[in-house]
Amino acid sequence: MMNQLYLFACVAGTPIAVRTEEIEAVVKLTDISPVPGMPPHIAGLSALRSRVLTMIDVAALIRGVPTPHEQRELAIIADISSHSYGLIVEGVSDICTVSEGPLPLRGRLSPAWMPFAQAIVENEGEPHLLVSLASFIDPALTLAA
Amino acid sequence: MDELLGEFISETQETLEALAGVVVEWEADPSDRDRLDSIFRFFHTVKGSCGFLNLPRFERLSHAAEDVLSEIRSGRSVPDPATVNAVLAVMDRIGELAEAVASGVSLPSENDDLLIAALRQDSAVAGKTVPTVGSPAPPLQKSGSSINSLRTIRLPLTLIDQLMNGVSDMVLARNELSRKLRDHISDPDIDSAFERLSTCVADMRDAISKTRMQRVDRLFAAVPRMVRDLGRELGKRIDLDLEGGDVEMDREMVEMVLDPLTHIVRNSIDHGIETPVQRAASGKPEHGTLRLVARQSGNQIVIEISDDGKGIDTDALVRKAVQNGTVTPDTAARMTEQEKLDLIFLPGLSTAKSVTAVSGRGVGMDVVRANVERIGGVIALENQPGRGLKITLRVPLTLTIIPGLIVTAGGQQFAIPRSAIVEILHENNATLSIARIGGACIATIRNTRHSMIDLEDVLGLPRHYQAGPRTVMVVRSTSGVPFAMSVASVDNHEELVIRPASPLIMATGMYAGMTLPDNGQPMLLLDAGGLANTANLSNVDEDRGNQAVDLGKPEARPIEMLSTLRFEELTGEERLVRLSLVERVEDIDTGLFGLSGGKAFVHVDGRLLRVANGHHTFDQPTVTALRLRDGDREVCYPVARVTDIVQVPSTPDMALSEGLISGVVLIDDAHLEILDPFTLFAGVPDEPVAPIDVPRCILAESDDVWAKEILSPLLKQAGYDVLIGMPEGHALRPDDVILCVNADTAKALSTDRPIVQLRSATKPHSNEDRSIYRYDRNAVMAAIDSARRGGVA
Repeated sequence: MMNQLYLFACVAGTPIAVRTEEIEAVVKLTDISPVPGMPPHIAGLSALRSRVLTMIDVAALIRGVPTPHEQRELAIIADISSHSYGLIVEGVSDICTVSEGPLPLRGRLSPAWMPFAQAIVENEGEPHLLVSLASFIDPALTLAA
Repeated sequence: MDELLGEFISETQETLEALAGVVVEWEADPSDRDRLDSIFRFFHTVKGSCGFLNLPRFERLSHAAEDVLSEIRSGRSVPDPATVNAVLAVMDRIGELAEAVASGVSLPSENDDLLIAALRQDSAVAGKTVPTVGSPAPPLQKSGSSINSLRTIRLPLTLIDQLMNGVSDMVLARNELSRKLRDHISDPDIDSAFERLSTCVADMRDAISKTRMQRVDRLFAAVPRMVRDLGRELGKRIDLDLEGGDVEMDREMVEMVLDPLTHIVRNSIDHGIETPVQRAASGKPEHGTLRLVARQSGNQIVIEISDDGKGIDTDALVRKAVQNGTVTPDTAARMTEQEKLDLIFLPGLSTAKSVTAVSGRGVGMDVVRANVERIGGVIALENQPGRGLKITLRVPLTLTIIPGLIVTAGGQQFAIPRSAIVEILHENNATLSIARIGGACIATIRNTRHSMIDLEDVLGLPRHYQAGPRTVMVVRSTSGVPFAMSVASVDNHEELVIRPASPLIMATGMYAGMTLPDNGQPMLLLDAGGLANTANLSNVDEDRGNQAVDLGKPEARPIEMLSTLRFEELTGEERLVRLSLVERVEDIDTGLFGLSGGKAFVHVDGRLLRVANGHHTFDQPTVTALRLRDGDREVCYPVARVTDIVQVPSTPDMALSEGLISGVVLIDDAHLEILDPFTLFAGVPDEPVAPIDVPRCILAESDDVWAKEILSPLLKQAGYDVLIGMPEGHALRPDDVILCVNADTAKALSTDRPIVQLRSATKPHSNEDRSIYRYDRNAVMAAIDSARRGGVA
């Protein structure tokens, strides 16, 4: 547990932590080609070299409204069940290990975050929601269907 | 060790797959030593490998099988069906075990003993005791040489995919570089270096694509076993014939075709081929034949599955379709045989009388067709009721690269497989009319009505204003009912590298995948069937029998315009004819025209058509002809040439009330006469044209092989009716021409009809010899022609 590396990022104004094994890279956003007929949190397709990424607007999943284009900054690239996704985040602050490991969730979590948050991870005294990137994809599947 | 184990498992599985066919062949012919040897080698190899990998169960099974087989090899026992069954069962068990080891689950072992017992007992019945100690197996050493001499290595698939992606990246980088280079001053040195790089990249891409290719053998591998097992289960005897296993196709494609192929083969055995008793009753050999043929044709792989069973009972299909309301009885009566046959692709229709374990489980040809079309393939049926069925699958060589069209809708670009498109028209095309009623949209194209959708509406995109006409495509959907789809424009035709889209995107059902064209902007591949479903297009009652007849009426507008075909008469005048009357324009062999009782006719498509303007002799070998139709009657109208399709006001600038010409219009300062369809058709009353009218050649010697086999087809091809032997009792017709091969026959004939004398020598015998060298086609034809003219005149 001690050696677990976390990426700390910010989504929908909320600090989050992601286990680094889930992450392939963090890239600056390029052009996104929209996909018609999709729920709002699916921002579209983007090309990363010869790969095509499905871009997920995570903030839209939480808030229900798409993030304005100028606020789309970075994307976490992840390979989830052999498809490549880019998860749009507002910012990335740090990658480091956390000595005390994940802590249980305390307090009443807002329903929007309920399906995604697994635990709390503290970095430099700040609490971050520990999320799994795959959870952003799977519930989305049921929403889209 | 793990690596060794993995290697062993995958090798075993692969050999098993390859052997499935061999076992069946061996069963068919137990004396086949080669087959027996290769099966024996398999067990021996398994036994040898698992000895040091410590896999005791593999060892016991393979050992037992090896023993039995070695008995057979040494001639001490005979392979009876029970033994073969037992050997097959052991092979299956080894396959299961391999699977289990690979996935790390355990398999109960008590059945192993049963299997082994079955093996031993059978060979004991054959009168032999089974040795319990492993027998020596020397033939292993020579196995390598006979199988293949090509040196190969085994690579993980992921590595190949990685290579493939790497090459795609390279192509994209190359494209970007090429754009950058174009922006700067061109330097021939750099250009040529870049050109070289380009070629290398392209070659590399081709080479890497080849690593993905696999022999069709793999597709066929499971078939012999399936045919054998099913045949046995259903009590049918089937000869299987596989051909073209060395054709190569994309690995993924093989996977995708496997299911439809399996389904078709099962269907064919279950519903197609009859039981030996039924076959004998209908005078067929007791053994049914199932033939699978694969071949490459351009960038497609053609797979034909044919059987000599009972074929499809189209009437039963129609009855069923009428019963469940898919087709109205009215429509059914009008359907052509092919349309009836196509009913089999409708969901929920099957000719199976009862649901059997083998097929008819509610998954039918509709699913097969959907699967084939999903990978850009086409399926076609060739039905001979009572005699068999041939199903042809045409699939692209690779799954990942398909020819596609790029279309624009709502300011965005989409790709659609070329194979899904039947036709592309501009919205203002004369043959197309679009009606909007109660929100629905109907496109009528040349008398066929299609449901029409706007791509923007289905996708929920805004419609941008555009100056030019929109484009309407007729799209073949997986449900089998083509529909019309309107897009802003069709931009390009490109070979597209298709990748699967993420499940999130696939869930909409409107997309079939995604692609990254050369410009680097990701693009979605539309799924034609999915779009139709999303738009809730009705699949039913879009019957093709129910065609609109009167497209000719133009829509009501301030000035009614009429689409007309502009053409030049043989006599030189420029005229117009209503386009809606024109069934088609084609070039017809002038030899097919003729005159009878003062009426001109032409012999096309096995029928005689009246020639509306009376022309029947031409100085060209072919003539352009309009085929005009007044709804049910068709006439032919030969012209010098067709110039254009023009829109003219429906009221001509000058109306004439008499004769063939109904009026004159001015187009681009040329005055053009409009043909009056009424007079045109009235001038050729509907009276049957006697079949006697085809120009006839008589071959005087009925027993001459050359005349019968060589000359007669040539004449028939040239449009003559050929009569072999002099007609007895019938008077000769005035335009008959007689052909003789022997000079004596000609002399013996007493007739006033012209005789064309042929000879087999190239040079004439003497100056008086008027015969014609029989292989001089032109001279023969000219002689017949001049003889006819001479006779008629």
